[in-house]
Amino acid sequence: MSLYNRIIKKPWPYWVGGILLGIFNVILLTTTGQSWTITTGFLYFGAHILNIFGLQPSDWYYFRQNTWLLPGETFIRNYYTVLNLAVILGSLIAVLWASEFKWKKIKNKKQLFFGFLGGILMGYGTRLSFGCNIGAYFSAIPSFSLHGWVTAVFMLVGAWIGCKVLLKYIL
Amino acid sequence: MSSSKIEELKKRRQKENKAKSSQIPYAAIFTVVAIVIYGVFLKINLKYSTFWIIGLLIGFTIQRSRFCFTASFRDPILVGNTSVLKAIIIAFIIMTIGFALVQYIFVGDSEIFDIYNIPGQIHPVGIHTAIGAIIFGIGMVISGGCASGTLMRIGEGFILQIVVLVGFIVGTLLGARQYEFWDKLFISKSPTVYIPQYIGLPIAMIGQIVILILLYFFVDWYDRKNNLMMM
Repeated sequence: MSLYNRIIKKPWPYWVGGILLGIFNVILLTTTGQSWTITTGFLYFGAHILNIFGLQPSDWYYFRQNTWLLPGETFIRNYYTVLNLAVILGSLIAVLWASEFKWKKIKNKKQLFFGFLGGILMGYGTRLSFGCNIGAYFSAIPSFSLHGWVTAVFMLVGAWIGCKVLLKYIL
Repeated sequence: MSSSKIEELKKRRQKENKAKSSQIPYAAIFTVVAIVIYGVFLKINLKYSTFWIIGLLIGFTIQRSRFCFTASFRDPILVGNTSVLKAIIIAFIIMTIGFALVQYIFVGDSEIFDIYNIPGQIHPVGIHTAIGAIIFGIGMVISGGCASGTLMRIGEGFILQIVVLVGFIVGTLLGARQYEFWDKLFISKSPTVYIPQYIGLPIAMIGQIVILILLYFFVDWYDRKNNLMMM
């Protein structure tokens, strides 16, 4: 099998993905002092939109209490934006090299509803648990912070409840 | 075989052929764009150049390996399959060693840990962690993908995931808006527990690796016992 086929055409085994993601996260921490996180970037993007509409999210208690930005960064110009756009583009490049890109439409209203609702739930949850299953799990457990392990256990509980909903209403 | 079935097969074959039309020129264009942006970052902001290149590699990797963090929680429950979870445990073992080294260099020989500045994700733990994680867990299963999966699928062309992303942004804003309530109720009263604070970094590292290895074998055993896909 040619190298092109092996890297681009055939899906990689999960363990290859796991090893690479682990190594990338270590490189990120070593070179930038930051580990991989995502959702705080979503929040800052949202805050930027609110800013455009003339609301002042920077007055919110949350933003007065927490600054997750590097010195000099703004709601839109920050490392989360760089990282998140790069992940989307990296995925797009991978799909295109395999010639597998396709616009995939939303199947029905149910999918739309649960997608949007699930998004809101995830977003809300991340503000309580200090991150998603990347920031509060994938990057937190290797940081030796107890909240990573607690997140793992209760995310499993949440997933179990989600599966009940999935089987009853969605599938 | 009935003729309608043959027609159906023909149609499917046509579809497959259509999908196989080459997108490599676009791939080349986007790769060049990514590299040019990397070059610009190298000049204006070295740190951003690292975030950019690692982000690209992460996106490429999760797409190629169909890596889904949601599946690592959902599939063991739904179908008894733990193959993604096992890959994540391998990643955890690698990162436990890597993060420990980085933190060790930062902390040095000092006995007092400056837990608010140690590299990594170190945050208060308490009831809010459990509530947030449960809400997140429900959300990721019903929407069919978490944050990384959402980004990856947007790259793949899923329109649904753009909706999930909008919901995600709305959710983080709502959460931040009501943060004061949760902060006063739980978060401000909760401790930040950095495990090496109590047992030292070397023991924390070795202990965590042992736990992860044991977890790997347990999860492997669970898979062999429960996996519906294997039967």
